[in-house]
Amino acid sequence: MKITAVRHVRGYDVARPVSIGVMLGIMLPLVFLPLLSIFIYGTSKGLGAFWSSLTAPEAIFALKLSMATSFWATVFNVLFGLFAAYVLSRYDFWGRNAVIVTISLPTAIPTAVAGFALLLLWGPYGTLGRMLNPQGVQVMFTPYAIILANIFVTFPLAFGVIKPVFDTMSRSLEEASATIGATRWQTFWHVTLPSLRGAIVSGALLTFARAVGEFGSTILVSGNLALRTQTAPLYIFAKFNEGQIEAANAIAIVLALLSFVIFSVLFFARDWLEFEAQEA
Amino acid sequence: MTPKMQLVPDDPHVSWAPERSEKAGVAASVRGISKRFKKASVLEDVSFEVAEGESLVLLGASGSGKTTILRIIAGLEQPDTGRVILHGKDVTDLPARERGVGVIFQAYALFPRMTVEKNIAYGLKIRHRPRKERRETVNRLIDLVQLEKHRKKYPWQLSGGQQQRVAIARTLAYKPQVLLFDEPFGALDAQTRVHLRREIRALLRKVKVPSVFITHDQEEALELGDRIAVLNDGHLEQVGTPDEVYNHPATEYVATFLGAANLLLGVVTRGCVEIGTARLPAETETKKFREGQSVKLVFRPEDVCVSPDAKLPEGCRRLANGVIEQIDFVGAYERLNVRLDLAHRPQSGELAPLYQVTINTPERMVGVPVMATRPKPEAHATRYKPGDRVAVGLTSFSLLPNYTLARQR
Repeated sequence: MKITAVRHVRGYDVARPVSIGVMLGIMLPLVFLPLLSIFIYGTSKGLGAFWSSLTAPEAIFALKLSMATSFWATVFNVLFGLFAAYVLSRYDFWGRNAVIVTISLPTAIPTAVAGFALLLLWGPYGTLGRMLNPQGVQVMFTPYAIILANIFVTFPLAFGVIKPVFDTMSRSLEEASATIGATRWQTFWHVTLPSLRGAIVSGALLTFARAVGEFGSTILVSGNLALRTQTAPLYIFAKFNEGQIEAANAIAIVLALLSFVIFSVLFFARDWLEFEAQEA
Repeated sequence: MTPKMQLVPDDPHVSWAPERSEKAGVAASVRGISKRFKKASVLEDVSFEVAEGESLVLLGASGSGKTTILRIIAGLEQPDTGRVILHGKDVTDLPARERGVGVIFQAYALFPRMTVEKNIAYGLKIRHRPRKERRETVNRLIDLVQLEKHRKKYPWQLSGGQQQRVAIARTLAYKPQVLLFDEPFGALDAQTRVHLRREIRALLRKVKVPSVFITHDQEEALELGDRIAVLNDGHLEQVGTPDEVYNHPATEYVATFLGAANLLLGVVTRGCVEIGTARLPAETETKKFREGQSVKLVFRPEDVCVSPDAKLPEGCRRLANGVIEQIDFVGAYERLNVRLDLAHRPQSGELAPLYQVTINTPERMVGVPVMATRPKPEAHATRYKPGDRVAVGLTSFSLLPNYTLARQR
C-alpha cells in the first residue's frame, strides 16, 4: 500500500516531523517504556539467570498449560464462530439480532465476572456442579475450567471477524456453484471456505493471543495450583507475589514476544489475508 | 483487450449440447409463471418457449422482472404459480443443482481461488468424473474459448471478456440443458460489448446450446436474439423475431422501447388512416380494424421520407406536408424534426401538391412534430434548412388499436 498525504505547503513540511514526534512522545511512557523494562530487567542478571528461571519446571508447565488451553479454546471458538456466522448470515429467524448481541457480549463483561459466573454454574455449589459433583465429575479447578474460561472470554473474537466476511460475500458465487451442480456441502467446502481463509486465520490468531493472556477469569476458576492449574499469567502473578521478580520476568518476556509475533503476522499478512477482498 | 474478431475453431465432432435425440423440439418452456415479492407482483402469467439451439432474448427495462424469470428457470427462485419444463421434464420442484442449467452471472461469479482450468473443471470435479475425462474436457473447452495462454491464471488476472469466456466454458463442461445469460455485457465498455456479443453469437452457433439472454439494451437484443421477448412490468408484450418486434410491434410499449418511434392518432376510413385532415392509404394494414376505429399509427424515423417537391420515392405513401424545424447531424445519419400540417383543408380543385403550409405562423404549434432520419448520401444530395417546406411520406408503418382503457389490451 502506497502512503500518500495531502500536501498543504510547498517545500519542507514541518507538520510531518512534529506530528510523528508528538505521537511517539505520547507512546513512549505509556507503551514503549513498560515493554522495554520487561526486557531490561528480565536480562539484567545475565542470560544464564534468565534461562534458568525460564526452564524451571513450574515455568515450563505454566507455559505449556497456557498454550494447550488456549489452543483448544481457539479450535472451539473458530469452529463455532464459523458455524454461528454461517447460520446468522444465511437464515433469518425470530430473535436473530438478540443472538448476535449475546454472542458479542463477552467482550464487554469484566473477566472476573466471567470467571465468577462460571464458578456459579460449574462450582461445587453451582447449578450444574451440584448435580455433577456427586457423580465424581469435577470441572472447576482443572485445566478444563481454564478452557471453559478461555472460550467464554474469547467467544466473540473469531465470530466477529468471520461474520462480516459472510455478510459481504457475493451470493452469486454460491449460486453459481449450486447451478453447476454442487451440493450445499461441496459449495461450502470448495467455494465458501476458501474465501474465508483470511478471516479464519486472523480470527484464530486473535483468539489465541487473547486466550494466552487471560488472567481475571482463569484465576477464579483454575484454583491457581502450581504444576496443576497454573497458567503463564497466573505464574507471573504468583512469582511476583512471592518476590521472585526474575522468574516472573522471564515468563513475561515470553508472553510479550508471543503477542508481538502474533500481531506482526496479523499486520504483515494483511495483504494475503485480504486477498479475497480485492477481487470482490 | 484488443478488439479483434475471434472465430471459433470449427469442430463438428464436438457438441456441447446435452446428449439427446436430434429432433428440433422445445428445449425449455416457461408456462404461466407468476411471482410476487411481499405485496408487489413481479411476474404475471409469463409463458414462452425456447427451441433447441435457439437463442431467446428477454428484453425489458430494469424492474420489468426479467432477472426473476432467469432465476426461476435456474432454480434460484421459486415461482408462485406456473411450471418450468426443460427438455420435456418438469423441473419446477427440483433444486438448482439438479436442473443442469448453465448460468452466466452478471459479474461472471468465477471462483476467485481457482485458476481458469480449475474453474472450468469444477462441474466435473463435483460430479466425481475421472481425472482423464476432466483433463480432456478442460483442454477442449480452453481450446474452444481460446484461453490457452491463460489456463493457469486466476480470475482477477483476466479481462472482462476473458472472464466471461471462462464462465461460459465452466457451464459447457457439464453439457447444460440451457444457458442463461444475466445481462452478460453490463459491466463492459461500449466497444468491448459490440465485439464480445459477436463472439458469443459465433460461439453459440458452434455449441448449439439453447440460450436465454437478459438485457435492457435493444441493440444487443436485436443482434443476439433469434427471437426477442419484450417484457414490461412483469408481463410479456410480444415474442417474435427481431424483424417482427422491430418492424411490426404489437404494442405501443414495444414500439417505443425498441428504438425511436413516432406515434400519431388516427381513424380508419375506407382503407385509409385519417389523421387530422391527412389521409394515408393503408389497404392491407387497416384490414383487421373496423371502419371508424381509432388507431395508433406507429412508424420509425428511418421510415419517413421527405421531399422538397411533391415527388416522393416509389413505395412511399404520402402522409402530409410539413415544415423542417430542426436539423441535427448525429454521426451515421441526419435527424430531422418536421412539423406536420394536419389541419389544412384542401380547397376543392386545388391540386398543387405542395400547398402553402400555414403552420409557420404564430399559431404554428398546431403542427404535429415527427422525427425523421436520413442516411448520409441522401442528406448530401438534398440539403435542407429550418423552415423549408417538404412533403412527408412513409415507407412502412404499423397500426395498433387505440384503446381508451389501458386494461383492454
